[in-house]
Amino acid sequence: MNLMKSIGMAALGIATAAILSGASAMADPLPYPNKVVTLVTHSSPGGGSDVFLREMTKHLGKYIGATFIVENAQGGSGAKAMARVATAPADGSVFYATTPTYIYTSLMSKPQNTYKDLDPLVNIFADSEVIYTRTDGPFKSLKDVIEHAKKERGRWGAANPASLERQAAEQLKRAAGVTPAIVTHEGGGDMMLNVLNGTLDIGIGEIQELRSQLDAGTITLLATFNPERIVEKPDVPTVKESGFDVSLVKFRGLAGPKGIPETTTAIWDEAIKKLLEDPDYKKAYTAEVLVPQFIPHKDYPAFIDNFGSTTEAFLKSTGAIK
Amino acid sequence: MTTFQDIIHLLTGTPLFFVAIGGLTWGILGGALPGISASITMALVLPFTYTMDPAQAIALLACVYIGAEYGGSIPAILIRTPGTNSSAATVIDGYEMNRQGRAGEALGISLMSGVVGSLFGLAMLILLTEPLSWLALAFTPPSYFGLGILGLSVIASMSGGSLIKGLASATIGLMIATVGTDPISGVTRFTFDIPDLLGGIEPVLVMVGLFALTELMSQSGSTTVLQLNETIRIKLPSWSMMKRLKRSQTIGCILGLFEGLTPGGGGSIAAFMSYNEAKRWSKTPETFGKGSEEGVAAPEAANNTVASTALIPLLSFGIPSSNSTAVLLGGLLMHGLIPGPRLFEQSAQVIDSIYVGSFIAIVAQIGVGMIILPACIWLVNRPRAYRAGFIFALILSGIFTLNNSLFDLGIALALGLVGYLMRIAGFPVLPMILGVVLGHMVESSYRRSLVLSGGDHIIFLQDPIAVFLLSIALIFVVFSLTREFRDARKTKIEEAHS
Repeated sequence: MNLMKSIGMAALGIATAAILSGASAMADPLPYPNKVVTLVTHSSPGGGSDVFLREMTKHLGKYIGATFIVENAQGGSGAKAMARVATAPADGSVFYATTPTYIYTSLMSKPQNTYKDLDPLVNIFADSEVIYTRTDGPFKSLKDVIEHAKKERGRWGAANPASLERQAAEQLKRAAGVTPAIVTHEGGGDMMLNVLNGTLDIGIGEIQELRSQLDAGTITLLATFNPERIVEKPDVPTVKESGFDVSLVKFRGLAGPKGIPETTTAIWDEAIKKLLEDPDYKKAYTAEVLVPQFIPHKDYPAFIDNFGSTTEAFLKSTGAIK
Repeated sequence: MTTFQDIIHLLTGTPLFFVAIGGLTWGILGGALPGISASITMALVLPFTYTMDPAQAIALLACVYIGAEYGGSIPAILIRTPGTNSSAATVIDGYEMNRQGRAGEALGISLMSGVVGSLFGLAMLILLTEPLSWLALAFTPPSYFGLGILGLSVIASMSGGSLIKGLASATIGLMIATVGTDPISGVTRFTFDIPDLLGGIEPVLVMVGLFALTELMSQSGSTTVLQLNETIRIKLPSWSMMKRLKRSQTIGCILGLFEGLTPGGGGSIAAFMSYNEAKRWSKTPETFGKGSEEGVAAPEAANNTVASTALIPLLSFGIPSSNSTAVLLGGLLMHGLIPGPRLFEQSAQVIDSIYVGSFIAIVAQIGVGMIILPACIWLVNRPRAYRAGFIFALILSGIFTLNNSLFDLGIALALGLVGYLMRIAGFPVLPMILGVVLGHMVESSYRRSLVLSGGDHIIFLQDPIAVFLLSIALIFVVFSLTREFRDARKTKIEEAHS
């Protein structure tokens, strides 16, 4: 409910902002080869990527001269959406909203079309991954948690079994040289309860899921896996600053079919850079604690490949894939 | 509790009002169709609630349940065919009143007794559910394991006679629950490299397949033709009549409360028990079976009370005590709402919507019930082929809208066939559904507990809530087993004597 509410609030905010600012913010949109651009997501209406796309398309029209449509290709944790985009014409009319999910699905269920069959276009955002504990618990810093894990068996929670959070937990475990139990859950809500009742020392999850407990003051953030500190939470150190060399980027970007013309990718590079500076959009995405993380087209494929091979190595080490 | 303002807002906000009336109307229509039980009526709308706001979706299902419990009495009174199992007791005196030309009166008594029962049930729901929510934070993985096992232990009393068949059915359900991504390690299981199976088989597909499709398949094999008199109109009972019915309605309410709280019963047992008790305590027990108004009032008050009170164990512990609440459980899970103590903390709005939506539905039931009767009669009188075809189309389009997936349709149809074969062979389907719904929770909380303890099972005995829940489960199982053996011996002795 909170999510729906915040989406509603965000939408309302944008609508008012749009009316107030009027035409003054309007720049000339870049000419685009297609009239209609379809943005495909594997999430259901109202899900994470769906909300992200629908929000973005409201503002994207100011910078790219095309109409944007969001299409939900649910099912198979992204397998269906990947197939949809991989087989679409490579003229810049169809793109897929990427998240680490598509890498995990590609590696774990080996669908016909994997992330390797898609051409990463640009990256736009990163979600903030954090380590949290209960406020009235014994841990005041990440160091306390590690010290505890050295003395007796630590209990750490990760939101999902095959996920970036689990990977983060395993990497932190290795970097710190401790052997806590890593307890996986089905979603962040489950894990939150176990952190609050003291079953777990810490939980690792997305900051969006913690908002109401953060507001209520029942949980405290110990560190973030982001490469840099979260702007809204300047007191929370990064894991790296706490002395453990682990950092993660839970990316959100776009990918298209292989062979998109360079003139088209150049338009996106320029438009996304401007879009992230758009004051109305900035207000909306800051409210959702999304960190702008622009990666241009020339660097994005290397980023995704690197992410893919790191993930593959991790999944092999946990025995999830052979 | 919520603030007064929130409740006013929910009452006056149009969507919930429409949701409540819509759910109620659909419930009465569905309940009135012979063979379409309350649970099937609910399972039919379940897929359509997928894109709704969770609070409204759950309120809708609760209102369908309320409507169906009344709707079931319409064919029970008019054609001696209970529309739902729980209206079977209403047949006895309801149909007798109809034969005496008092059909409208019988329908009116059924409607008003239903309203009384529903209001009582709702009051109990509000009073009893909330206090249980303090448990929310105390639930650890071992406690959730205990909760899941308690839910599964109900199977013993839901197997309808054959425990072996019930257990076999539950095992198939548990097997279906293992399909998909392993909840702890993330390894894919039984997915055969089909991406659609990565997320597992959704309980809603199992429910729609086993309840609704199976029922339609077996109905198309039957040839009986029903015909209702289209001129009947409801006659509401007078004030003095309501006073006379007070005793039997009270009996229905109290028995409905207990039946709703304890798993395995559903409305039908409560209805029959309250019919018997109403007769025992009546001033005119000799009229029972000869068109007694009390004989209609007691079972109808009881089954409508159950429609609300059955939500108490569901919402506070996640235990479905009847087929219908099992569907509601599926609805909650579909919207990512884990029933149990946590629901009250995290999704208070869902709970409020159930309360307020139910209230609207109960009050509106008097008006809607009167207006909709001709429509119900018309619907029941349609040729079976058209009716079944329409419902088939409704179900299949509903399933498709879940994920826009033809694969899901295939799964549901296959499960419908499985359910049909199970029915022919006399296997109860409810244990299978419980297996699918609870299997995942049992497995993941069991394994999560063992990860926490480093593989030591003692963790289940160190958690007081887990110990408590597991003991109740044990008592349930032992109780059902002894009853099973006693019944079996009795049958044997009777056979030997005859």
